[in-house]
Amino acid sequence: MDNSNPYCIKMRFPSDLDYIPPVRKFVAETLQVNHFSPKFAYRSEVIVDEICHNAIIHGSRTMDAMVEIDCKIFPDRFEFEAHDQGGTRDDLDKLKNAMNKTETPSIEPLLEKRERAGLGLEIVRLLSEDVKLEIGENNMTTVRVVRKREDV
Amino acid sequence: MQGLKIQRSPVEYKPDVLMWKLEGAMDSDCIDLINTEFNSILEMKQNFLVAEMSNVSFVSSAAIGQLMGHRQTLVEKGGDLVIAGLSFDIKTKLTLMGATKIFKFYNELRSAVNAYNWEIEKKAENVWLSFPPELQFVPSVRQLVSRVARQKGYTQRDAFRIETIVDEVCNNAVEHGSEKAARNIDLTISIDRDKIQLEVVNASDPEKIEALEALSKSVVKTPAPKLGDKRGRGLALIKMLSNGLDINCSTEGTSVHVTKLREE
Repeated sequence: MDNSNPYCIKMRFPSDLDYIPPVRKFVAETLQVNHFSPKFAYRSEVIVDEICHNAIIHGSRTMDAMVEIDCKIFPDRFEFEAHDQGGTRDDLDKLKNAMNKTETPSIEPLLEKRERAGLGLEIVRLLSEDVKLEIGENNMTTVRVVRKREDV
Repeated sequence: MQGLKIQRSPVEYKPDVLMWKLEGAMDSDCIDLINTEFNSILEMKQNFLVAEMSNVSFVSSAAIGQLMGHRQTLVEKGGDLVIAGLSFDIKTKLTLMGATKIFKFYNELRSAVNAYNWEIEKKAENVWLSFPPELQFVPSVRQLVSRVARQKGYTQRDAFRIETIVDEVCNNAVEHGSEKAARNIDLTISIDRDKIQLEVVNASDPEKIEALEALSKSVVKTPAPKLGDKRGRGLALIKMLSNGLDINCSTEGTSVHVTKLREE
């Protein structure tokens, strides 16, 4: 493995919340065996959890929907992509708005109302270096996250 | 407090399952409405009902008692009434009331439908994974499969045996696959209530194809390894732990297919 030839891992699983714990643990363990620190692996696990959760709740239109993830492991960074069917127009608008925010919004109002909805992407942004959204044909949605190694 | 509204609709691709979209407060005033709606469902001969309650703001003990009675009616007809999408607060209250002993709760509609596919239709769920042919990936791969099995209700013992099978098959794929091919190992998991099927496909090493072809033909009769043998225990172990093993080898690739029935 080097910067021009990263390890590539792909997975496709049913769009069901039951699958998130095994999938996020798999990603974290894979990072650890590739010499990323336990802290890095755990924070990446949080990212995977949030992105997959969004893909299942907001990005799956049909009952037999699947979610696909791509992980690329470089010596100095981890790149993660999640592909889903894309949700309703409302879901996509909300996602676009969240991605287009230039500043991190105050989370105080959400915390006061004890609302957790809307925090997921903010957590991902906080823990990563780059988050990008692509909406392709037929609303197919890809969220791409880059996280750089902290201990180099 | 907003009164209760009930919207009835079929679930996509599932003509046998009906959804109730409940909205508002389920206080004691709504009992008549619930009963009327339920009676019309009985007339439609629909026995599986998902109560989607993400927009419910309050549930009285009278209303939940009524739902329990209706669930019992459906269970007697071979169906069920399950609840999906409850808010955390209401779910906590219902748990304290002991409703979790009666109802199955799901986080959302899709999870409830997947559970129906799993329990009633015995439909398999598929997971596909592609990983680099390196030994360091095998532990996390085998634990992934084990966790999926546990998540789907397999016992710890079953899950551990499945983990052992995955470990052996994947180690073989890494050790005996082609080192030169830049191809990942593909693992397909197909799991249902009664069995798990695993298929591992890797690039064949041209120098080992003949030996692997001979092995695939004789796999049913593979003799048990002798005590002093350092190699050859993996396949014997897979055969012992599984209910079906099939190996296909060609220049295109080597595929190992294992079937393991659920024991407990």
